Amino acid sequence: MIEDVTKTINTLPRRLADFDTLTEALDYAASGVTGCNFFDARGKLRDVLTYKKLQQRAQDSAQRLLKLGLTKGERVALIADTEADFIVLFFACRYAGLLPYAMPVPVNLGSHKIYVQQLTGLLRGGEASIAIAPEEFEGFLQEAAADVDHIKWVGTARQLEELEKADVEFTVNSTDEPAYLQFTSGSTRFPQGVVISERAIMSNLQGIVRSGLEVQDGDRCASWLPFYHDMGLVGFVLGPIVSQLTVDYIRTRDFAIRPLQWLRLISRNRCTIAFSPPFGYELCARRVRESDFAELDLSCWRVAGVGAEMIRPSILDNFASVLKPADFSDKAFLPCYGLAEASLAASFSPLGEGLDVMVIDALALAERGVAVRVQSDNRKINSIVNCGKALPEHEIKIVNDAGELQPDLRIGRVLMRGPSLMEGYLNNQEATDSVLCADGWLDTGDLGYIFKENLYLSGRRKDVIIVNGRNIRAQDLEELAEQQPEIRMGDASAFGIEDTEEEQTVVLVVECRISKTSERQSLISILQRLVYESFGIHCVVELVKQHTLPRTSSGKLSRVAARKGFMERADWNQEANHKLSLVSS
Amino acid sequence: MSASYDEVLRRLNKQLETVAELNAEFDESTELVDGLGLDSFKVLDLLLEVEDEFDISIPMNVLADVRTVADMAKRIHELGPKAE
Repeated sequence: MIEDVTKTINTLPRRLADFDTLTEALDYAASGVTGCNFFDARGKLRDVLTYKKLQQRAQDSAQRLLKLGLTKGERVALIADTEADFIVLFFACRYAGLLPYAMPVPVNLGSHKIYVQQLTGLLRGGEASIAIAPEEFEGFLQEAAADVDHIKWVGTARQLEELEKADVEFTVNSTDEPAYLQFTSGSTRFPQGVVISERAIMSNLQGIVRSGLEVQDGDRCASWLPFYHDMGLVGFVLGPIVSQLTVDYIRTRDFAIRPLQWLRLISRNRCTIAFSPPFGYELCARRVRESDFAELDLSCWRVAGVGAEMIRPSILDNFASVLKPADFSDKAFLPCYGLAEASLAASFSPLGEGLDVMVIDALALAERGVAVRVQSDNRKINSIVNCGKALPEHEIKIVNDAGELQPDLRIGRVLMRGPSLMEGYLNNQEATDSVLCADGWLDTGDLGYIFKENLYLSGRRKDVIIVNGRNIRAQDLEELAEQQPEIRMGDASAFGIEDTEEEQTVVLVVECRISKTSERQSLISILQRLVYESFGIHCVVELVKQHTLPRTSSGKLSRVAARKGFMERADWNQEANHKLSLVSS
Repeated sequence: MSASYDEVLRRLNKQLETVAELNAEFDESTELVDGLGLDSFKVLDLLLEVEDEFDISIPMNVLADVRTVADMAKRIHELGPKAE
């Protein structure tokens, strides 16, 4: 029998992430009455995990893991579906002194083969000793683990429960030791594991729950974010535990099919904190109907966080106007900026103020790298969202390529320093050294500017194509392509390729389902004309089949990987000019 | 009573016609993504229609092995779909 949902109001005095380690935080939360509730696709409660039960089950599983003869810090890979078992196993690892990391669930039709390859890459990349999956994904995991030699045990949470217990006393974790790995950038075959220490994660969580969200009594979270994504794991699994908040979950898959379930959950359980990348708000706005408003009251939604991708104000403005009849307040929007290399969060805009958008001249941004505020009349403009100030005890600065500090409103590389930063990438000193400087600054890989201490992001640096000294944002090219009716959002990838004369060729790879040669030809011409009209540059357009463009585990397009794929397809290095004429003709 | 495979296929075909918004010929061996051109948004639309129509919940592990119309119909049939 399933118990009742856990309460919003706790019996404990609230402590906001003032713990040394994650297990210490759970031990405290376990003496209260809050916890996690799991809902199904139709909004029915399917499981409850109070923090008390989480502590008991995690300690029990930890003893069984220790019976497998593991030494401190060995890696445990977990396929992270939105289930109580994942949270139990994550904490079991920490009680046992092991290092957990989350792996994704398959999301695409017919993705069996690619998914297994992805898992194998992750098992190798994290050098996992143990790998655990929910029953329904065990087959994939067994396939993926077959060729990986360092694996000692593969199974499900149920199978783990059948093992004997070690009956040893847990050692206390130190604040300096790694707490978990977060896989992020990098390719499918060679994924990059970010090492986050206990100190870093607690410092980040403190910044999030105290200064970013100002967690208070009466708060309650709702989330559909995948547990294998940093925003889902840190923001909505660890965040609620270190601040003893109750959280209501729906599966990512269920949200994708029925996005309004997220809003209904918020409304019904009077949730106050829920985050999503912009596309989640877009999905909701797309599905909501007049008849839905009778059961939606979103006046309780205090913090509607927005992060994880470049924020386009129009998507959020649309959500706010569509959901106005449900009493959603656009002041609840909380844009923020973060990255896995900084545990999660880097900056938050002020609470309760909504979006703060700066409209700047697109030409000045592209040609001179400066943000010039303009009225949006006849010029080409960029709307840039204020992502707020750095977390307390953290600093953000903007530098140019020579490393010199830039004044307000001048675009440059976004650097960050503070206690939340990663230790480095697992087993990859070279990659670590390329982003973490000796003086403690992390190069985020993003481009932006500061205005009155607030951060404004203008794009990914790696994704700026410099043609004849002009900065062209890859994102702008992609958005241009996406405006075509045949092309969906997120189905275009732009990048630059340098030839032997150091000439940049701009390439636009587009996924499209048109098969007729004449129609394909006309789409290519339209895109080339548009790019020429907008940026005055010639570009190569390649149309590819759907699912050709590589994506990261969080679903973002990887332009670096897209570029690599294009070069392989075009056999770029051998016969560059010949192939160029082939793909562009 | 749950629906027969043929009934599932017939009802699924009807849904595919609406979701794919085309009059193209397709049969059991047509691929959903490459053949019918379902993008990720449309796949979500189709899943919603299918789950509501047949009163089932399609697990993610099943979808990873669904490529063609027949794959989809077989999986729906295995999940004990509601008869008309």
